[in-house]
Amino acid sequence: MSEIIYVPPTPGAVKSVFANLDCLIEAIHQLKKAGFTNFIVTSPLPRHEIEEQIYEGRPSPVRWFTLFGALFGGTGGFSVSALSHVNWPMIIPAGKPLVSVPAFIVLTFEATILFGCFFTLLGLLLNCRLPANDLQIEVQDPRFSDDMFGLVVNGLAKADAGKVKRILGEAGADEISGMEELSHG
Amino acid sequence: MKGLTYGAVTRDILRPLFKPSAAYMALLGLCVGMLAWGGYCLFHQLTWGLGVAGYQPPVFWGVYITTFVFWVGIGHAGTLISAVLFLFRSKWRTGVYRASEAMTIFAVMSAALFPGIHVGRAWNAYWLFPYPNQRQLWQNFKSPLMWDVFAVSSYFTVSTIFFYIGLIPDIAAVRDRTTGAIQKIYGAMALGWRGTDRQWRHYMAAYGFFAAFATPLVLSVHSVVSWDFAMAQTAGWHSTLFPPYFVAGAIFSGCAMVITLLLPMSVVFKWQDYINVWHFEHLAKMCMLTGFILTYAYGVEHYIAWYSDNPYEWGIFVDRLTGKYDWVFWTMVLCNCVIPLLYWIPAVRRNYVGLFAVSIFINIGMWFERYNIIASALAHQFDPMSWTYYTPTWVEWGIMIGSFGWFGMWFVLFMKIMPSVAVAEIKELIRPPLKSDALKSEQVHAK
Repeated sequence: MSEIIYVPPTPGAVKSVFANLDCLIEAIHQLKKAGFTNFIVTSPLPRHEIEEQIYEGRPSPVRWFTLFGALFGGTGGFSVSALSHVNWPMIIPAGKPLVSVPAFIVLTFEATILFGCFFTLLGLLLNCRLPANDLQIEVQDPRFSDDMFGLVVNGLAKADAGKVKRILGEAGADEISGMEELSHG
Repeated sequence: MKGLTYGAVTRDILRPLFKPSAAYMALLGLCVGMLAWGGYCLFHQLTWGLGVAGYQPPVFWGVYITTFVFWVGIGHAGTLISAVLFLFRSKWRTGVYRASEAMTIFAVMSAALFPGIHVGRAWNAYWLFPYPNQRQLWQNFKSPLMWDVFAVSSYFTVSTIFFYIGLIPDIAAVRDRTTGAIQKIYGAMALGWRGTDRQWRHYMAAYGFFAAFATPLVLSVHSVVSWDFAMAQTAGWHSTLFPPYFVAGAIFSGCAMVITLLLPMSVVFKWQDYINVWHFEHLAKMCMLTGFILTYAYGVEHYIAWYSDNPYEWGIFVDRLTGKYDWVFWTMVLCNCVIPLLYWIPAVRRNYVGLFAVSIFINIGMWFERYNIIASALAHQFDPMSWTYYTPTWVEWGIMIGSFGWFGMWFVLFMKIMPSVAVAEIKELIRPPLKSDALKSEQVHAK
């Protein structure tokens, strides 16, 4: 038998579940309009509408990791090839150069790709904060990897909980929970 | 995809996981048996040395290098489908790309066995990589064999990262639908993925970059493999035609292998909604295009050999057509140029039996193509006194069969422990659930 562990809800958090994407987008829009920007949206698939609503077209910084990695790999690949041949010279007659650009292009290319990928991976993990084991309990809902969208509003003061719940309800949330004692009291 | 919901997609694709049938276990057992036989043959070779292979001067490349090139080539279609078609936003890619990518990884893992087996002293394989050593002895970076080490190892690393990153959201979906130890294992593999807006934002940016990095590898890896041959002063190999010829051949064989693997899988798992004749017809069309390029390349290399007026070069090509290796050449032509023409008939490429049968012939033909290039050229070099006939021994055949067992074992295991179709990406193809749609539908019903 698997043990049952009770994890208390996060203080100041309201969790909502949406079956419809347009309702979720409307909820995000209304929350931002009302000044609530401390929220997490979860979805079983990437949707550009969500990203557009939240990040308003700001590109991910992962691209800088990619650029740095590719440049590092390219220069590193060429340097390793060239310096190896300078360090262990094979002087071949007929004027063949010790540092041969065409011959070293292959390794330069491969290292550009390889390190570009490594640094992109690093950028992805750092920016996504992965591996993650500490995400709040409200986000850890199996439905969010299946067929439901989630919207968790955090850092709410007691006075704001009712207003946030009203916004979520009016937008079409199928389920709203959290800070119950406040909304009922 | 009409009528499908997000929930149905999750259920359908995760349904076959962790429930092995008797037929599945028999298939796995067959693969492990083939691998065990290959392992025995390798043990025999390691014990007695490379003398147990059929090598005789001047032929020292044979079945091992043939099979190495075959497996590297197989991998290409997976990268083409997962990366190139992703950048082109091709919709038919989505159903087949996960299993194709897995095929790529396992094919490169199979290829990676062979350089070590081929050189005999596999325990010294690490000498291939540049690392500081006592005598400051460095590799020759002007050698195509050295390029190949980097090309194939980079390809494997990039493909594996791309594959694993693509799997993370789906592993999280498996975690959320399992319990106990299995859930813990998948939880660790999912790295704590929860599909948050932050995670998806960076994920999609990174995924695009991974695809962009993997795309040139489709062209570069087999080009570099072809330089293993083309850079050598060997008649029959020394040609600038080799890179495009090899890349076309790789995609040709890879697409055929995707058909061979995915067609039975889609039928057994009842995945007609996700992988169906529409996908296989696209793959068949890829085979038609690349098969045509390949046939053209066969013609051009013979024409250039004749036009060069070089007796050694032309001698090789005449020997391939009419000499001791003619059976290899004509098998290759039959399997790669003639039989794939059947795909030009719509009824064949829309029929599962036709699709599957032709794909098997292409797989066979592409192995023979590499054998034709390697064995016939080396056995018929400049000095007629050195001409010989290379015949592989039971050890070489056994190790080759073992590599198919190795590949098959990984693929069969993959089918039961990972979602073979991309759950999250299939959902992207479905119109999202919208309240506005539901309201419209209610209005229609009210009228």
